[in-house]
Amino acid sequence: MSLETYKHDMLRCTRCSYCKWIPFENFRQSDFIKGCPSVAKYHWHAYSAGGKFNIALSFLEGRIPYSEPFLNAVYQCQMDGSCDVSCKSVQDIEPLQLMQELRMRCVEDGQVIPAHTPMIDCLRKEDNMMQRLKADRGKWAKSLDVKDLTKEEAEVYFHAGCKYSFDEGLGHVARDGLTLLREARVDVGIMGQAEMCCGGRAYELGYGGELAKYASRHKKALEKAGVKTIVTPCSHCYQTMKVLYDKVGQKLGMEVLHITEYLDRLIREGKIKLRKPVPLTVTYHDPCHLGRLAEPWVHWNGKETKVLGQMIVHDPPKKFRRGANGVYDVPRNILNSLPGLKFVEMYRIRASAWCCGSGGGVKEAYPEFAIWTAKDRIREAKSIGAEAILSACPYCTQNFKDTIKETGEKLKVFDVIELVQQSI
Amino acid sequence: MELTEREYKALEDIVGVEYISKDLAIRDTYNQVWGNKLVFGEKWSPRPVAVLLPGNTEEIQAIVKVCNRYGIQFKPFSSGFEITAIGLASEKGIMLDLKRMDRILEIDVKNMHAVVEPYVSVHRLQLEVAKYGLYYGAVAAGPSAGVIASSCCHAGSGQTNVFAGAIERNVLGAEWVLPTGEIIKLGTAASGDGWFSADGPGMSLRGVLRGHCGANGGHGVITKASVKLYPWYGPSELERSGEIPALRAVKKVPDQYKVFVISFPTQDNGFDALAEIGKAEIAYSDYQIPLPPGGNLCEGNDEMWENMQKLDPAAAKMFATMVIVILGANSSREMEYREKYLLKILEKFGGILLPPLNDPMVHAGMFDASMFSFGSVRHVFRLTSDFFINPCADGSEGLCKNLHKAAKEVMGPYWSNGTILQVGSAIFHPVYENYTVGSHHEDMYMYDPYDPDSLEGTRELIGKTVDPNGKFRRLCVPCLGGGLQFEPVNHIHETWGSIYDNYDVWQRQIKAALDPNNVADWGCYIPPVYP
Repeated sequence: MSLETYKHDMLRCTRCSYCKWIPFENFRQSDFIKGCPSVAKYHWHAYSAGGKFNIALSFLEGRIPYSEPFLNAVYQCQMDGSCDVSCKSVQDIEPLQLMQELRMRCVEDGQVIPAHTPMIDCLRKEDNMMQRLKADRGKWAKSLDVKDLTKEEAEVYFHAGCKYSFDEGLGHVARDGLTLLREARVDVGIMGQAEMCCGGRAYELGYGGELAKYASRHKKALEKAGVKTIVTPCSHCYQTMKVLYDKVGQKLGMEVLHITEYLDRLIREGKIKLRKPVPLTVTYHDPCHLGRLAEPWVHWNGKETKVLGQMIVHDPPKKFRRGANGVYDVPRNILNSLPGLKFVEMYRIRASAWCCGSGGGVKEAYPEFAIWTAKDRIREAKSIGAEAILSACPYCTQNFKDTIKETGEKLKVFDVIELVQQSI
Repeated sequence: MELTEREYKALEDIVGVEYISKDLAIRDTYNQVWGNKLVFGEKWSPRPVAVLLPGNTEEIQAIVKVCNRYGIQFKPFSSGFEITAIGLASEKGIMLDLKRMDRILEIDVKNMHAVVEPYVSVHRLQLEVAKYGLYYGAVAAGPSAGVIASSCCHAGSGQTNVFAGAIERNVLGAEWVLPTGEIIKLGTAASGDGWFSADGPGMSLRGVLRGHCGANGGHGVITKASVKLYPWYGPSELERSGEIPALRAVKKVPDQYKVFVISFPTQDNGFDALAEIGKAEIAYSDYQIPLPPGGNLCEGNDEMWENMQKLDPAAAKMFATMVIVILGANSSREMEYREKYLLKILEKFGGILLPPLNDPMVHAGMFDASMFSFGSVRHVFRLTSDFFINPCADGSEGLCKNLHKAAKEVMGPYWSNGTILQVGSAIFHPVYENYTVGSHHEDMYMYDPYDPDSLEGTRELIGKTVDPNGKFRRLCVPCLGGGLQFEPVNHIHETWGSIYDNYDVWQRQIKAALDPNNVADWGCYIPPVYP
């Protein structure tokens, strides 16, 4: 793939602006209909997916050079895929893939964002993007007696991910998750200090080579450890290992599950029993990387052709990823099975969820924009009477916590794992 | 062309550095829209010299005054979904993106109207007023269209025109920044009596404000408008099902509504029935639509094509004359009466209800498509990338019948050779206001602007339909809204004015009077003097 691959789509973007809202079919409350945080905050059309089609076409045709506003439009974006869902509710084109290629072209041309550079440097040196030493990686699981997959084999590999591994404020969630698995007698192990970044966030920033490198390293390490299933509490890692590795032709030959999927399985099998009441009114925030972006990759090799004179079709027929096949029901099933808990839905949910604000390198490069975005989600959660907002992604959870700390809002923030742990 | 530092600074001082840009990347996202390839020969229309995001009427007034001072042309727009929104006539033109002006200012339930700013979209208003049992008419351009753009500035029609009024006739007042920078209000708003009547006490300039086709920004900026609302019989929130938006529709048509998808033996029967249903004052929605066979709810073109191939050819033929009627009523007795009346009309004109087109799923999709115009973008753009409308007219069924017959004859060879989508007749034909002011008629064709044969064939076809000496002659009123007219390229007013009693002379005099310095971009309107 390359930027040029999407020229057909650039030409065919009609400027309908659907990319700016959630799909109209999903409008429920007129205060909560915007879908794209970038265009909602910065207003310029360039910040929308349609605008990026325009920028890319003008750039390819030599009409515009790189400039600060050009790069702002490209990088002040969470790459959350809301635009992709809305656009593809009416079109057969690929805005998110175009935006990914645009970032990769920027990186190839040295047009990078200063705040992202140390993250990538750290990744290359320390196998993480958290500005931390590799040697500190396994500390989150220090007191747990768990198999070390660098020395022994296990059926399930618990991949904590960079955020849970290094963020002291969140490490307990990973510990809770792993404990739940162990208490359910799952044959599970970790990589400890040898765990490495999945490469997904680097890819999202436009560093494509890093993804392929980590896909290959994971494949080797996990095959050696006899792993049959990867379980991760991090939505980013989940999407990377399940979708992106496949996209770049390095599909792992094992099952990849988000921990909510595994917990749901264990609950249904009776291996985890939810007994204690959780007396809270909660709402669930669909993480982009567990929801619309987690839809399995669809490989398609074919050509565009015409029928009825001018109708554009594909030979063989092409199945577009339109956001429906993400993980939406599983976390809700878990919440609905927690005794005493009242679950209420927000207005923008599932494939139409509003982003938490953290993705696409925004949290690191434009922290005020990340907070601005989370504020709108918190406003939405409060509007439906939730006492707590839950997510299943460390980046969402952290950004909500940061925002609440800054604004003084009264809303609790949990990961789904924490409430399951509370209930057993 | 670039603005001088002085000119740019004068504009920047009004909106602040955050809301103005002269960067090429930003500017090149305000000149790419569907239809450009057809009109301009490439994806880009003239690039604006700057783009501004004003936040209120006062800022717009100040911008307009600067434009007068420095001879800069300006073009305001809301969603920007057409050449008429972002095509510029001048190389020294700025764009006013009105995205920041997005408030619903008032919903007057008792007097049934709403006052909105330019970036309020049609569906957002529909959603909000449904809470009060009110409805704003659908616009065929789709749910993203601006309320002000479609009602005050542009030509268009919608699926519920029969009940909820012709869109341009629903304007009950406006706040208008004239091209001189003067601010005026129309109707009762001018005398401080609220926004309930466009005809005073206070100035009534509705005809000048928009005429038939709208000035598309050529008369200044409408910063607020009051629009008429109609009764909504359904619930304040509709429950929808279906995971993929394109496959999503109301779970069930509300009890207060009934959908009928009707096929007629001939097109003339269909037109006659549409008019009769209008005159009977029974319908909430009454129109013919160019819905491709099998195209009601489909994820994408591939699935649509698969469905089309499965259709019984005999049934598929009936789609060409497919009419949608939705009845709405406050009580079951009222519904019973309306349905009975409708069935009598069907009997008279040979209308039949084909079972495959009248199952609950189709009805649910058609309900959303009719009430809220969901799917219009899917159907006119996804298929081939672009579409065009001509001939296009408003008038009696007699006129529409003749127009369509001529259209079929002219378009026939292009359907046959595959220059345009081979779906046969593709009509959009809603009835206006219970047929008291006739109907709207469009013959559509879908083409691919990036297929050289399709582009050239479409240009040739358009040439034939707008040729004053061609097949249509006076029948084909060039319609700015449907026809994507851009005067500096198409010269429609210049060519057609003399044929229509020199209407363009009158129009140019109005333009000159309102805009003495010619600063409101006239690309999709008319210049005071032809260049």
